[in-house]
Amino acid sequence: MLDGILTGLGTAVMPMNLLMVFIGCFVGTFIGMLPGLGPISAIALMIPITYGLEPSSGIILMAGVYYGAIFGGSTSSILINAPGCSSTVVTAFDGYPLAQKGQAGKALALAAYASFTGGTISAVFLLVAAPALASVSLSFQSADYFALMVLGLTAVAAFSGKGQVLKALLMTVLGLMISTVGTDRSTGVERFTFGNIDLMDGISFLLLAMATFALAEVVMAVLKRDHLKEEENETDSSQIGSMAVTKEEVKEVAPTALRSSVLGFIVGVLPGAGATIAAFLAYGMERNLASAKEKLKFGFGSLRGLVAPEAANNASSSGSFVPLLTLGIPGSGTTAIMLGALIAYGIQPGPRMMIDNPDVFWSVIVSMYIGNIVLLILNLPLIPYISKLLMIPRTVLVPMILFFAITGVYLVSFNTFDIYMMVAFCIAAIGLRMLNFPMAPLLLGFVLGGLMENNLRRALMISDGSLSFLWERPITLVIVCITVLVLAAPIVQSLLQKKRSKAAQKAGQADSENSNGETA
Amino acid sequence: MSNHQTPTQPASGTSKPSLSLNKDLIGGLIFLALSIGYGLSAQMIPYFPGDEYEPFTARTLPYVLSVLGTVLSLSLVISALREQQQKKQEKAQQQGLDLPQLQPALGYDWSTVIKLLAIMVIYAMGLKWMGFVISTTFFLFAGFWVLGERRKKVLFGASLPFVLAFWFALTQLLDIYLAPGQLFAALGFGG
Repeated sequence: MLDGILTGLGTAVMPMNLLMVFIGCFVGTFIGMLPGLGPISAIALMIPITYGLEPSSGIILMAGVYYGAIFGGSTSSILINAPGCSSTVVTAFDGYPLAQKGQAGKALALAAYASFTGGTISAVFLLVAAPALASVSLSFQSADYFALMVLGLTAVAAFSGKGQVLKALLMTVLGLMISTVGTDRSTGVERFTFGNIDLMDGISFLLLAMATFALAEVVMAVLKRDHLKEEENETDSSQIGSMAVTKEEVKEVAPTALRSSVLGFIVGVLPGAGATIAAFLAYGMERNLASAKEKLKFGFGSLRGLVAPEAANNASSSGSFVPLLTLGIPGSGTTAIMLGALIAYGIQPGPRMMIDNPDVFWSVIVSMYIGNIVLLILNLPLIPYISKLLMIPRTVLVPMILFFAITGVYLVSFNTFDIYMMVAFCIAAIGLRMLNFPMAPLLLGFVLGGLMENNLRRALMISDGSLSFLWERPITLVIVCITVLVLAAPIVQSLLQKKRSKAAQKAGQADSENSNGETA
Repeated sequence: MSNHQTPTQPASGTSKPSLSLNKDLIGGLIFLALSIGYGLSAQMIPYFPGDEYEPFTARTLPYVLSVLGTVLSLSLVISALREQQQKKQEKAQQQGLDLPQLQPALGYDWSTVIKLLAIMVIYAMGLKWMGFVISTTFFLFAGFWVLGERRKKVLFGASLPFVLAFWFALTQLLDIYLAPGQLFAALGFGG
């Protein structure tokens, strides 16, 4: 393992790669600060640039963008109460009240230190967990992979919130459907191309990601007239205040940061959970652990309430790389887009990645840590200047982002049909977003579609067409059981809830009838 | 008791139940149509001789997905209908006023978005015929304009110089070939 770490370190500290981490963090912070644009859009916008780079540099750049975007998201949460991405929504609960008290600098500094702690702890965990899991997963067969992918996809749906499970599952199915467009890889048969040559190669994942995230998020912002609200932002960036943190404050929040980091990492490793849930859980945990007096501070500028979600969301970002790097199965939309990029490089993440591309595997892990350092020592002091960039009028920024998204796709294929397709997907995405359909499952289903079909085909061939492969091996059976549990949990929960509310209604009706009877 | 929102609730994304009900119904029906259409077109996927004996063909996954999509969208429709009925009963009991449920969709800035989407389509057409520099300049200029930018300095300053710099970086620094517009090629320039 030491060899691997040294290889990774050797690759990660190359001047070119250090530059990539820096650029990634910087650009990510900027894009992440724009309300509405999250890490997925940030990474999608950077992918066309990474195609010209070495695989390890490209992935390092994207990892930098990922961290930067989350950091940028918390910055806008704290400064203007407009979370750049969903995982930093919780940061605004206590971060923004602090900024209102004139302590924006302290809040930003604490957020950065918390992120750093989360990143450091989870990087160490990743260093240990990833190779261990990779060696276990070497014994996985296609049946296990198929079951794991089904688990990953259902878990994303199951974690997507109340009343959203069905919709998330539908979006996953839609993603899988879109992935079947094009020439079938094993039989060479065209599917759903309707005789269109442009569709023969299938739909590129970059196109789909750009259209459903970068384009759709910008257009949604225009739709909600966010571009007219720029004046509000201008006042805040100049009043950041001191970034100094006292010893007592550090002592107060240190245990919080440690606890939340561990929790965040574990949540991140689980398929489907991810940074947003990690942040909410850490905040909830901290609130429950706090004394009654401190509990009152939560929501009004509690330092612990700020540190907990920040440490957790960063730790879970690293955690989400564990299933990606070791099993080749992304657990979130962001890692799905990274998987797409890796496949475009010809690298298949999974148990063999550590053996076939040790430089990529280890340099990603090491560069994650370097990314955290860059965020702390470079981005934090630069925040006042980066937030000035937010003052670029939205009337200019929106067309620019649209341009980068369109050109990013066009420059890969040089086919204007792709732009029409992007517009069509963007319109569909806006419609689906307005109907409250989540977008990340679509991307996940799309990226996993091809892999899933291959593994299912292989498993079915081996078992001669019988579905017995799902329960013949203990590992597969366990994964299938977990999948069923994950799927059943929300259904059971909603049934129980309905029962309870019906009982309550009946009791209420009985009460009112009684009182009516009395008044009559 | 104070009536402020508890901090553990997400700050955004909560919509009125009555609104999301209607949305679920629309979404479910769209997905139902899509799944059925997808399943029907899956029958157009060519079969190889002997494929009927194979456990897995090019049609297998599409069929599975079509069935899954149909079942899931039907359940979404049914659950939406059921809840709507429940709501109706409650409303009948309360005899409250029923507000039009798609009202919020009308409050959005649709005209700007439609214009932006149209510009993107025109941009795609322009790229083919006018080439990168002219069509991109037009795209950015029109984009700024549609979003309400009227300052000449910004309109011109952020479009052409930016495009030229970007074109220079692409063609000269990164060695990426950009095809000249077909219009010019047809007229005998460049190409």
